[in-house]
Amino acid sequence: MIAMRFGVLALLASSSAITLIAADGPPDIEGTWQPRAGGAAYSVLPHAGGFFLGSESKTGIVEGGELPYQPWAAEEVKHLTEHMELDPTGHCHYEGIPHALYFAFQIIQTPKFIAFLHDNMHARRLVYMDGKPHPQGYSAWMGDSRGHWEGNTLVVDVADNNDKSVFDMAGHFHSDALHVVERFTLVDKDTLDYEATFDDPKVFTRPFKMKYQMKKSAHPEEPFESDCFGGERDQEHIVNGLANLKDHYYSK
Amino acid sequence: MAWLRFFTAVAMAVVFLPSAFAQSQADAGKAPRMPDGKADLQGIWETRNAASFDVSEIAEGHEIPYLPAALDREQKGPRVDPIIHCMMPGVPRISYMPFPIQILQHPGVVIFMYEYLHDIRYVTTNSRPHLDGIDFAMGDSVGHWDGDTLVVDVTDFNDKTWLDSARHTHSDQLHVVERYTRLGPNTISYEATIEDPKTYSRPWKISMPLHRNTEPDFELKDQECTEGDNGRAIHPPYRERPEGDIFEFVRPYPATKEQRSKEQPR
Repeated sequence: MIAMRFGVLALLASSSAITLIAADGPPDIEGTWQPRAGGAAYSVLPHAGGFFLGSESKTGIVEGGELPYQPWAAEEVKHLTEHMELDPTGHCHYEGIPHALYFAFQIIQTPKFIAFLHDNMHARRLVYMDGKPHPQGYSAWMGDSRGHWEGNTLVVDVADNNDKSVFDMAGHFHSDALHVVERFTLVDKDTLDYEATFDDPKVFTRPFKMKYQMKKSAHPEEPFESDCFGGERDQEHIVNGLANLKDHYYSK
Repeated sequence: MAWLRFFTAVAMAVVFLPSAFAQSQADAGKAPRMPDGKADLQGIWETRNAASFDVSEIAEGHEIPYLPAALDREQKGPRVDPIIHCMMPGVPRISYMPFPIQILQHPGVVIFMYEYLHDIRYVTTNSRPHLDGIDFAMGDSVGHWDGDTLVVDVTDFNDKTWLDSARHTHSDQLHVVERYTRLGPNTISYEATIEDPKTYSRPWKISMPLHRNTEPDFELKDQECTEGDNGRAIHPPYRERPEGDIFEFVRPYPATKEQRSKEQPR
């Protein structure tokens, strides 16, 4: 009888162990996520909003509200802010990291990779979770993403970025030396805290951080085709038509 | 009676052996399955044909049943392959672009991730109705399972994409039904029925195998189309656009023998 009870206990213990292993598995972050990036596609810094890309943001998403540009790069940004028509996303190019994460996207988890599927620019990113290193001699608009879990946090290392993608249409740019470490922390089942550290010694004087929250959409949607193709030139005409755009830019 | 049995056996062997042989040659082994019992189409797949240059290569009878009016429209229409200007290639062309395709399956959805133009097709397998009053370059894809075959019904197309570089075109009435059947570990049979009452006299079919990429550590890369006159680094503002289209066909593509004989060099 004792032996039998012991056997049952052993069985219970082993089944609860199985449950525990499952509970210890990676957190479930699947779903459609709505970033609260405060019109960051217009500017990552505090801004008055414009160009149909969301309303004003008093804080921006950059920690401290400032980007630590090297002097030459600060001059370049001034020029690019004057010429928003040069924004490559206006020409339908891939947005890069973190630009792609300013708009709704869907996450699908597999054992080998986590897929980020974006509506905008029909972008997709596969974050490989199998521990392999970044490829050598590769350069891409969205970079190359390798991830791992630290508790409830998905840590993604993004390297192999090209120098063409930008942070926003206000001209905030980076070089191909950009290295991003993103941290997606699941704080509750409907909230992801996003924090990314950017290091680019060719353009900035020190690493800096961007932070915002993402909320799980209560109404998951299929991502639909965003019919924008490389070579689009309408933005030049629209921006040149909005001459007063620059006047209310940078309300800070 | 023995001779009859022998004759039957030989006849059976003659009839069935080649197909059985072809099958085992093409793909030995069992097609894998998903945990829910559905056919598993996942993996990285590639075509080994040149259909993106001329789709008649994989068309039944190597023929496209054009309506005369459609041929006329084609000859008078745009003469530049839209993909040269970085437009999405449409369906079915995306399936036979010479770039890898990764298929990801999830309950209720099959996602096609194409290396070409980093395109995605998100196909729900719930047979939902097609969207109303909207046109896409890649159409609206709705799927369902027919046994082990994934059937994708695609419509709501615009009339801007071409089926290949050889200027085989369609109208916005295009309706494509694709069938994906995994034959074994390394092969998917791809078939599509192409229907367009404004362009073709009857529905016609294309078929080809998709081969699994078995290279260890192979991963999809990002392919982005840059026309050369865009992108911040090389695109000075307010530059004059060159006159005409530098990619324009010098001569119309001869769609039929008759057209070829009538054709005059420009």
